[in-house]
Amino acid sequence: MEPAVLQATDWGFILANWDTLALGGVVTVLLTATSLTLGFALGFPSGAIEVYGEGWLADIVSTAGVLLRGTPIVVLIVLFFFALPIPRLGTVPVVDMKLNAFVTATLALGLRSAAYQSQVFRGSIQSIGEGQLEAARSVGMTKLQAIQHVVFPQAVRRSLPGFQNEFTIVLKDTSVAFAIGLAELLTRAERLYLQPGRDTVVIEVIITISAIYFVLTFTTNRALDYVHSQYAIPGGNQ
Amino acid sequence: MSLLRVDSVDKSYGDEPVLHDVSFGMDRQQVEVVVGPSGSGKSTLLRCVNRLTEIDNGEIYLDDEEIHAVDENDLRRRVGMVFQDFNLFAHLTARGNITLGLREVLDLSKAEADAKADDYLDRVGLADQAESYPAELSGGQQQRVGIARALAMDPELILFDEPTSALDPELIGEVLTVMEDLAEEGMTMLCVTHEMGFARSAADTITFLDDGEIVERGAPEQLFENPEHERTGTFLGELTGLHQ
Repeated sequence: MEPAVLQATDWGFILANWDTLALGGVVTVLLTATSLTLGFALGFPSGAIEVYGEGWLADIVSTAGVLLRGTPIVVLIVLFFFALPIPRLGTVPVVDMKLNAFVTATLALGLRSAAYQSQVFRGSIQSIGEGQLEAARSVGMTKLQAIQHVVFPQAVRRSLPGFQNEFTIVLKDTSVAFAIGLAELLTRAERLYLQPGRDTVVIEVIITISAIYFVLTFTTNRALDYVHSQYAIPGGNQ
Repeated sequence: MSLLRVDSVDKSYGDEPVLHDVSFGMDRQQVEVVVGPSGSGKSTLLRCVNRLTEIDNGEIYLDDEEIHAVDENDLRRRVGMVFQDFNLFAHLTARGNITLGLREVLDLSKAEADAKADDYLDRVGLADQAESYPAELSGGQQQRVGIARALAMDPELILFDEPTSALDPELIGEVLTVMEDLAEEGMTMLCVTHEMGFARSAADTITFLDDGEIVERGAPEQLFENPEHERTGTFLGELTGLHQ
């Protein structure tokens, strides 16, 4: 009896549709960039507020962080999509995606990333010894100057490994935008193999987009490793 | 006129009294050494003078101005501090450690600040280490940068908080030499230290602090040879024995 064999592969289908997947990759990269930027813009000050702030502002920041970290990202993105009054903004040409879905996904991924990034920065700010701040204050610098010129430059260096982690997670989690139909990499991949008669190419498509995700995370992580080594403090162990 | 006058200062941390009714004065160009057992309040006393720690009661005058009536940043510019653990800014070179305050607080241009920093590095014998980062320097070198950083701000008074306590024995000498030179040049210095050799040779006055109170204060010869209180004699004797 003949052993069962895997179906013949059909890489020609991938080649014929490479532009669809490439545009999906572009949307994924764009969404990663906007989400991480929003996450950094909110997460860095939030981390600082959690360390140095007090009163209602610190309370709001820490409560928002707990809520965002405690909610599954798919729930957030679907909730934002249906609950936030984001107007229909039309479709972006070339990459062919709905702008309101992109904005929603950026908000959900960005806010959640801010909640995680704030903890990365909080940890690295707290790891800078109190003596550094005292030394800066002792030459007459204000608290703000001391934080800006002495604590932050060291804290940012120490937060790079944690940030790299966060980058990788956000890049891969852009795939949850699939839940609101944003035309990123996974959504487009699915559209390809859900066409009538194309259920035979699922494996090829999935392997291809996995490879694209891998190449994106690998190269960017290597680039960040390089940045880390360039800005390492000589003689230090960070 | 005293440069520094500490008047009836009390300080506690919670329920723990640290300083009680501490009063003394220092003239310009004077070197005062504060000694006392661990936990006696020496470091707290220093930190009260540049307001890293706030006092509970009493007054402290710098140049006849009550220090709580002046801007704290302005006060700290006028009162330098050298730390036990050096506390050099880890991400900046030796030069950068000195120029940061010059640029941010004194608003010097980069060229002016660099020139001044190099000048002070030269004074502490580290002209060739301007580009080195703290982690690349020995403890003694780091502390000399710490002293240069304080000096470069042109302070009226420098506080030394056990500047040699974290150093290996063979590195203590180079720091003490710099401090002795400063004393000779007329810098006003308030030093917490266990270095009795330095206290004997450089101090004008020694204050013995125990349990947050000044037990005895006087010229080095008097405290070493004829202390009024037995406690003083015992403590100084122990220190001298330990540090030979």
